[in-house]
Amino acid sequence: MHQHAETTLRDGTTISDLINHETREVKVRALSDPELYELEMERIFAKTWIFLGHETEIPNKGDFVTRDMGSDAVIVARDRDNEIHVSLNVCPHRAMRVQTHDAGNTNVHMCIYHGWAFKPNGDFIGAPIEKECMHGKMTPKDQLGLKKARVALYGGLIFATWNIDGPSLEEFFGDAKYYFDTLFLRTKGGLEVLGPPQRFRINANWKTACEQSAADGFHTLTLHRWLGEVGPYAKKPDAEGKGADLSPEMYGSEVWTDHGHALRCIELDRKIVRLTGKDPAELTPAEKLTVLPPPGITPAMVPELLERFDDGQLKLMSWRPPQVGGFFPNGLFEFIYLPQPDGTIIGACALHAYIPKGPDKLEFMNWIFAEKDTPPELKARMLRQSVQMLGTSGMVEMEDSDTWPHQTEVAKGAMSKTITMKYQALFENGAPEGWPGPGHVGDGFTKDDTQWAWWKYWHELMTSEK
Amino acid sequence: MEKNPLEPRPLPPSLRANRVPVGSPLYNDMVEFMYDEAELFDTLRLRDWIAMVAKDIEYTVPLRHTRATRDQDKSVVRTVQHMYDDYRSIMLRVMRVMDTRSAWGEDPPSRTKHMVSNIRVYRTDKEDEFKVHSYLLMTRNRFDHDKFDLIPCERHDVIRKTESGYQLARREVIIDQAVLGTPNLGIFL
Repeated sequence: MHQHAETTLRDGTTISDLINHETREVKVRALSDPELYELEMERIFAKTWIFLGHETEIPNKGDFVTRDMGSDAVIVARDRDNEIHVSLNVCPHRAMRVQTHDAGNTNVHMCIYHGWAFKPNGDFIGAPIEKECMHGKMTPKDQLGLKKARVALYGGLIFATWNIDGPSLEEFFGDAKYYFDTLFLRTKGGLEVLGPPQRFRINANWKTACEQSAADGFHTLTLHRWLGEVGPYAKKPDAEGKGADLSPEMYGSEVWTDHGHALRCIELDRKIVRLTGKDPAELTPAEKLTVLPPPGITPAMVPELLERFDDGQLKLMSWRPPQVGGFFPNGLFEFIYLPQPDGTIIGACALHAYIPKGPDKLEFMNWIFAEKDTPPELKARMLRQSVQMLGTSGMVEMEDSDTWPHQTEVAKGAMSKTITMKYQALFENGAPEGWPGPGHVGDGFTKDDTQWAWWKYWHELMTSEK
Repeated sequence: MEKNPLEPRPLPPSLRANRVPVGSPLYNDMVEFMYDEAELFDTLRLRDWIAMVAKDIEYTVPLRHTRATRDQDKSVVRTVQHMYDDYRSIMLRVMRVMDTRSAWGEDPPSRTKHMVSNIRVYRTDKEDEFKVHSYLLMTRNRFDHDKFDLIPCERHDVIRKTESGYQLARREVIIDQAVLGTPNLGIFL
């Protein structure tokens, strides 16, 4: 149980003053305040599980990548026993960054300042001039290692936390795990990264990106309208909807959890009808998955899905699979089905982390995935499709990265910082009939409940001492 | 070994023996091509630019990695890249900006300057294709920002001579930053 600790900001405002639970509003100030930023690094990023990458980025013993857990730099390394460790990338001697490369392979991470050396698991090996004992005698060697985070792997995804005795990753996922399993545990071979992540900086507060990641579907209708004008969702003359109206694409179910994880489960029925000409209600999940397999899966791989998942999850995957959503605090997943000009559908699998780099800056990291067993030619098509639509040059996401800086900038205005963001479009009908999964579920057009759950958990952590 | 299907078409080598002298008519043609292209980009005449692009183009921007001096060959990453375009996706980018009213990432458009320098031209083993190696410093400014995003990079191009003039057939842009200091590549490099 969290201990409540209301913090008063320098001007007398409390964190709870920023959020109105009755009317579901958040003061705009939350999107820029430097004081809040410092607290977020301590109370959120140093407390919850943070997504750092995928084990296939470091397949060999000694492989490492450098990453960030909030404002802290870490080394993610595989040791001689194939275990993955996450250690603070700060030398306990004089606070030099120990590993200065983005990636590499080594069994000894040596600080270039005074030569203190560490194993991939963070243990102190020694310092130069051993006979003169230049690491001193006051602190024993076993206490001179790099500070170690607690690590958990899930579907090859690497998560770490500084909350050594806190909840497990599974507890943190909570009800979201049922759904995450359908994305990350699809095959025995598992997912693999198709290369290192893209990285670029945006002059925006991390929360602008992350609250959107909590399954905001509303913004797509305007911000991504081009998709329906000339892009993949441009309407054929005989199709439903009008012109660039993307709203038919926004129906389905949304799921949110008490830990701020969110999923937009977008309905596939229209695509199934287009591909088969049949009523989806008359097709079994196996039949639907075979005509429209999840991203990275071919029809030949569908029998493996049928073995690995229960009826409920298969129903979900063939009816309303999670396609976009976030894991709190700073992750986004996109497992999307993109129509191609030739009438086929190609999937894309991508994960983002939005790394806080100050109240006004974030780093956007984009990893692109396929199943290890995805045939090479399909992998190549998925990769090109993903690069063209998502991340750095992504025709979809360049609109998002241009929006967040404006939000961050205007949130500094004396007047504008006092107005509120509104999360008042409510799901009022609960889960659809026959919904197989747990969590809070809403049926129909995208609403605000998922993002509101994100802010509620933000508030819970920000007002918790322990 | 089978070619990695994720990797784009390799560029011909820059052999000093194949250098086209600075100031020669062919060299001047290439310089004019580069300057004309920069002007089309910076004045948003993207449809005119498309006419300078070959149908079989591959347009890629590798990732950069900070690696040790001895591992510099690993500092350019050609699996996942920042851009990975063919003619169709380039056309879609152009249509997005020119034919819709919702390409907000470039509406209003960035103000850019493509400053091309250090141009070197090489003959290749194909008579009608030339490799052009250049430096590009691009400045990008948006809205009322007082700062410029700087994108310093080098370009390795293949320019093809056709009946209708020269065309860009292959471009690889190697950016100097491991972490880009611009919020997207909604512009062409």
